[in-house]
Amino acid sequence: MRSAGTREQGDWESICTVNMNEWITKKPLEWEKYLNKEVKVTADEKNAYQGWVFTVDPVSGSIVLVNFVDTGKVSVVTIMGHAIQTVELISEGENNTTEKLSALFMPVAAKVYSNEELGQRKSSLKSWLEKNRIPVTEQGDQHTVLCVAGVLTVSPPYNPEDCNSSNEIILSRVQSLINCNPDADHKTD
Amino acid sequence: MTSPVMVVRLPRGPDGQSRGFDPTSPRYHALAPSSIQASNNCCSSNLREEQRSRSGLRERFLRSLIAMAGKPVDFTMYERVSVTAVFAASDIDILNFQVSHLQTPLGVQKEALLRCPDIIAYAFDL
Repeated sequence: MRSAGTREQGDWESICTVNMNEWITKKPLEWEKYLNKEVKVTADEKNAYQGWVFTVDPVSGSIVLVNFVDTGKVSVVTIMGHAIQTVELISEGENNTTEKLSALFMPVAAKVYSNEELGQRKSSLKSWLEKNRIPVTEQGDQHTVLCVAGVLTVSPPYNPEDCNSSNEIILSRVQSLINCNPDADHKTD
Repeated sequence: MTSPVMVVRLPRGPDGQSRGFDPTSPRYHALAPSSIQASNNCCSSNLREEQRSRSGLRERFLRSLIAMAGKPVDFTMYERVSVTAVFAASDIDILNFQVSHLQTPLGVQKEALLRCPDIIAYAFDL
């Protein structure tokens, strides 16, 4: 196994600069090499962008760049794959760059409920659905999951985003219902 | 706060029916990737690696789209056109963006569809 130093140098050379229109023909594994690195992208009509690579969309080849502004703000710019002309590697990044970038777009940590509160929320939702004449049963070992009409499940903590279904129509109907449950305490995020 | 302008309808396309967003038109088929970047080799562990990489990259991209929803975004388009709008949604092929309150030189369009091939880059603050 080669030492980390030589492997990085080999990778660096292979991804240092990309010539015109080559970018969009790369494979996912090649794009992945650019993650968490700082690059400079030149695009059509003399536009240039610099930042840390958060991702490359494998469908459109678009590069998502992140910049951390001094004031604590984070600015994001995405260059469409079809407009990318050249991509130049500027820096490898620090040890914590990867975590810093990954944490940026993850959903905010949800409020933690006690078991009692979860039980109350489940019963409240179950009776609300039944009041609206929607068949609902309890599923799972601990009976924590609600199964609606056999095609949708609601997991704790029983918020609209905890619904799971392959039927879009039922999903959106149940989500709206949950939102207007007069009984539930609507905790704001 | 400027009041919205009336919807300006695009002229009909060459086939006499669509206004440029017809998913069955030859133009749309030419634009949408008929296949995405993938290796040809049939070594299954390489394919697995490639698929893992593809889904990881795509998941991050989708999260960046989710983060954009409801926020004002600056779009840099071709011919040195720059517009600002509130981003709402994208289609699966990243060919169309649904936006609202689109500020154009003509006025503010309450709801609009932006064609992604017309966009060079777009930027927003988290």
